[in-house]
Amino acid sequence: MQSAQATVKAVGLPYGVRGILPILLAIPVIALAQWLLIGLPNGPFVIYIASIVGVNLILAVSLNIVNGMTGQFSIGHAGFMAVGAYTAGKFSLHAKDLVISHLPAAMSDQVLFLFALLIGGCTAALCGFIVGLPSLRLRGDYLAIVTLGFGEIIRVILQSTEAFGRALGLAGIPQWSSLFMVWIWAFITVLAARRIAGSSHGRSLWAIREDEVAAEAMGVDTTSYKVRAFVVSSFFAGIAGGLFAHFVPIINPGSFTFVKSIEVVVMVVAGGLGSTTGAIVASIFLTLLPEALRSAFTAISGNAEIAQRVDQIRMPIYGLLLVTLMLVRPQGLFGNRELWDVIPRWIPRRRRAA
Amino acid sequence: MSEVLLRVEQATIHFGGLKALSNFNLEIRRGDLKGLIGPNGAGKTTAFNILTGVYRPTSGNIFVAGQWVNGAKPHQINRLGLARTFQNIRLFRALTAIDNVRVACLAEASPLISAERLDAIRQKGGLTGRLANLLDSANDYYDWWRALALTPGFQREEERLTRRAEELLKIMGLAHRRDEEARNLPYGEQRRLEIARALGTRPKVLLLDEPAAGMNTREKSELMVLIRQLRDQFSLGILVIEHDVRLIMGICEEITVLDYGETIACGPPEKVRSDRRVIEAYLGDSYLDTHPEVEQAARR
Amino acid sequence: MADFLQHIINGIATGTIYALVALGYTMVYGVLKLINFAHGDVMMVGAYVGYATALKMGPGTRSSFLGAVLVFLLSMACCAILGFLIERLAYRPLREKPRLTSLITAIGISFALEYGFQLNIGFLPGAAPRAFPEIIVPTEWLIIGDRDVVLWNWQVLSFAIAVALMLVLQYLVFKTRFGRAMRAVSFDHRIAALMGIPTDRVIAITFMLGSGLAAGAGILYAIKDTIVQPLMGLYVGLKAFVAAVIGGIGHVPGAMVGALLLGLVEEFVVGYTSSTWRDAVAFGFLILVLLLRPEGLFGRVTAEKV
Repeated sequence: MQSAQATVKAVGLPYGVRGILPILLAIPVIALAQWLLIGLPNGPFVIYIASIVGVNLILAVSLNIVNGMTGQFSIGHAGFMAVGAYTAGKFSLHAKDLVISHLPAAMSDQVLFLFALLIGGCTAALCGFIVGLPSLRLRGDYLAIVTLGFGEIIRVILQSTEAFGRALGLAGIPQWSSLFMVWIWAFITVLAARRIAGSSHGRSLWAIREDEVAAEAMGVDTTSYKVRAFVVSSFFAGIAGGLFAHFVPIINPGSFTFVKSIEVVVMVVAGGLGSTTGAIVASIFLTLLPEALRSAFTAISGNAEIAQRVDQIRMPIYGLLLVTLMLVRPQGLFGNRELWDVIPRWIPRRRRAA
Repeated sequence: MSEVLLRVEQATIHFGGLKALSNFNLEIRRGDLKGLIGPNGAGKTTAFNILTGVYRPTSGNIFVAGQWVNGAKPHQINRLGLARTFQNIRLFRALTAIDNVRVACLAEASPLISAERLDAIRQKGGLTGRLANLLDSANDYYDWWRALALTPGFQREEERLTRRAEELLKIMGLAHRRDEEARNLPYGEQRRLEIARALGTRPKVLLLDEPAAGMNTREKSELMVLIRQLRDQFSLGILVIEHDVRLIMGICEEITVLDYGETIACGPPEKVRSDRRVIEAYLGDSYLDTHPEVEQAARR
Repeated sequence: MADFLQHIINGIATGTIYALVALGYTMVYGVLKLINFAHGDVMMVGAYVGYATALKMGPGTRSSFLGAVLVFLLSMACCAILGFLIERLAYRPLREKPRLTSLITAIGISFALEYGFQLNIGFLPGAAPRAFPEIIVPTEWLIIGDRDVVLWNWQVLSFAIAVALMLVLQYLVFKTRFGRAMRAVSFDHRIAALMGIPTDRVIAITFMLGSGLAAGAGILYAIKDTIVQPLMGLYVGLKAFVAAVIGGIGHVPGAMVGALLLGLVEEFVVGYTSSTWRDAVAFGFLILVLLLRPEGLFGRVTAEKV
C-alpha cells in the first residue's frame, strides 16, 4: 500500500521535472544493461530469457492492478495478451516493408514497432472495456468466469479465423524487439502501477477492495473505477503481447491459453495481492526458476527429455503451490507492502524531505 | 427560511413480504439537527439505506438538494451532498487514517471538459445527452492519464486534497493518527474517523448511524458537542440515529420515532418523550398499564 | 426435420450430463458460496476410476448389469472420498477467510488435478486419450428413416440414470431432515451452527454427494465420447457451471433446467454452424445471461445487508 508521503514529496524537485525524470534516468541504464548482456558468451539466449522475464513482469504488474489493488478476480489476462500480440503482429506483417522517409531504416523500424505496440495495447484496452463494463457490475465470482470465458472465446476466434492463421498462427513477424524495448516498457508499466497506487485513483481502488459499499457511499463510482483499472491493465497486457510477438518466431493460440493466465495469477498471488514489488519479484523468480531447472537438468543428464519432464511437472506444482500458498501464507511474499514504502525508513531522518 | 437539503415523501420499502419502512417522511434544512430513534429492527438503518441509494424505495419520493434521486446509485447521491456513517463501522481497514479521508476528498479536478459544459450538453437530451456520458468517461480517463504522467497540475491537486484531509483529521482530533492503519485505531477513534471521512465528501447533509455506540458517557457527551460544532462549522443538516434516547433528546430539535417501519411519533423531544405509543414501543404495551407512574414521570 | 430431431436427442443427452455436474456446483455454491473450480476435474477422476475398474474387469463382466453397476458405484464412492478430502484439507481451513482465497485454492486444485493426470508417473495416466472400455454394449434402440435419426441405448440409459439420480437428490434436499439442514447452512452457516446443525458434517456430505454425482456424470460422458483424457473435466466443468448460473446458482431444479437448455442450444449451434464454436456457445450464453438476468432463471435477487 502506497504510504501517504512516498510519492508526492519524493525529493525537493520542481513539479515539472518529477514527472519525466524517472524515464530519463531509466533510458541510459537499460541501454547499458543491453549492451553488457549482448556481449556475454550466450548473448542471444540471455537476451531471449531476459525478454521473457520482462514480458511476464509486465503481465504480472498489470494484473496486479486489477486483482491486487482493486481486489477483483480476473483470470483471462492471456486473452488480452493475445489480442495485443495478434494485432501488433498483423500490423507489423503488413508494415514491415514500409520505410519512413528521412529516417535511417533501423529507426524507421522502431517507430513502426512502437506504432504496432500502441495499436496492440489500445485494441486490448478496448477489449478490456467491452469485457469489463458488463461484468464488473456483478459479484466477484462471476468476473472470474467471464474473464476465463473471454480468454477462451478469443482462442476460438483466433483458431477459426484464416486471417490469423488458425491453429498455425502468424509467422514472419519482423523481429524488431530488443532487450531495451522490452525493459523500457517493463519500467513504464512499473512506473504506471506505482503512480496509480500513490494517487487518489489508487486509493479509490484500494477502497473498493477493502469495502465496496463504503466506497460507493463516499462518492466513488465503483463500477467506473473497476472498469478503468481493467482497461489500463488490459492495455499493458496488450503491450506485453505485442512485445512478445516481435521476439518469437511464431505466435499461435497455444501461447495464450488459460495456462498462461493462471501462471500470471500465480505470480501476482505469490508476490502478494496488491504489491507491485511482489509482482516484480515473483514474475522474475517464477520465470527464471523453471528455466534454471531446465538448463540444470539438461546439463546434468545430457539429454533434453528430462527438461521436458520438468516442464510437465511444473504445471501441477503450480497448482499445488497455489493451494499451499493460500493455506500457509495467503498474503503472499510482500502482502500489500511495497519495497519503496520500507526503504525511506532506512534513510536517516535528517536527509528525508520534510 | 433555510434551504431544504433533503426531502423524503412517503418512502416505503418492502423486502418480499416484509414492510421494512412505511410512509416515512422527513425534511432536513441547513442547520437542522434531527434524530431518528426506535427499537432494534424498527427500520432506522433501512431508512438511511434508502436515503443514500443502497436500496430503492418501493414507493415514495426522495429529493436531495432538490433533485429526485429514487434509484440513483449511492455515489451519485453522495455527490449531490449526502454523506453517512455506518452502524457497524465500515472503514477501509488496511488504509491509513489519512488515506481513509483522502478517498472521500475527491479532487476538484480541472478536467478536459468542465462540469458546466457537460451539464449544458446533457440538457440537450437524446443522443447528445448520451454524448455527455461519453465525455464524462473521457474526463475520467484523462484524469488517470494525468496521474500516470504526474503532471504538475495533478501534483498540486493531490497536495490540496491532502491538506484538506489533514484539516479534517485535525478537527476530529485524529491528527496524531494520520499514518496509522484504520484497523489499529481504538474504537472511539474509529467512529470519529468515519465522521471525518464522511465530511471529506463535502456534504450538505450528514447521516450518522449510531455514532456513539460503544462509547462511555463522557465520550458520548463530547461527541454530541462535537456534532453540534460540526453542524455550525460546516453549515450542515444532520440526522442522527441513536439508541441512547436521553442523549438524542438532549441535542436534537426534532425526533422521529420508528417502530416496525412505521412512524409512531414525530416532534420536539418533550412531545415525543411523553407520547404513549413511544413508551409502549420501548417498554411494551402492558408495561404502562401496570406502571402508571412511568407515564406521569415522562410527562414532567 | 430428421436433423432437428437428432439434435434434440443429442442435446438432451449432453444436457443431462451437464445437469449432473451442475447439481454439484450449485449445491456447493449454495452451502459455501464458493465456485468449486475443481469440480469438473473430480468428474474427470471419476471417469478414470471407472476406466481402470472396467479395464480390470474384462469384457464379459463389465458389460453385464452387475458389472456396470459396480463400475458406477466404485467410481462414485472414490470421488466422494476425493471430494471429502479436498473439502477437509483445502477448503475448510479457509472458510472464514475472504472468498478470493478459496477461489484461488479451487483453481490450484483444478490445475493440479488436470496437469497431474497428464503426467506419466506411477498411476497417473498421462495426457494421451484412452479408449473407455464398453460397459454398455451400444445398440440402436430407435431408428427413424435410413439412419436419419438414431437413438442409442446408452443415451436412453444415460438419461434415465441422470434423471434417477436427480430425483433422489431432489428428495434428499427437500424431503429429508438432512436436506433441511443443507438448506439452512446455505442461508447462513454461522446461524445454522448456532441452531445445533453440525455445519462441518453437512458441508462435507454435500461435497461428497456432489462429487459422487460428478463421478457418475464422468462415466456417462466417457461412454458418450468413448474416450477419457485429463482435460475432459475442464470444459464440461465450465459448461456445467454456466448451466448452474443460467438456472440460478444455488437453485437445484434451476441447475437441471439450465443444463438441459445449454445442452440443446449447444447442439443446435454446432449442428447448424460448425463444431469449432462448441465451446464458445457456453460462454456466449453465459455473457448473455449475466447481462440480462444475472440472478439466473430461478434465482432470487438478494440484497446485501448494509
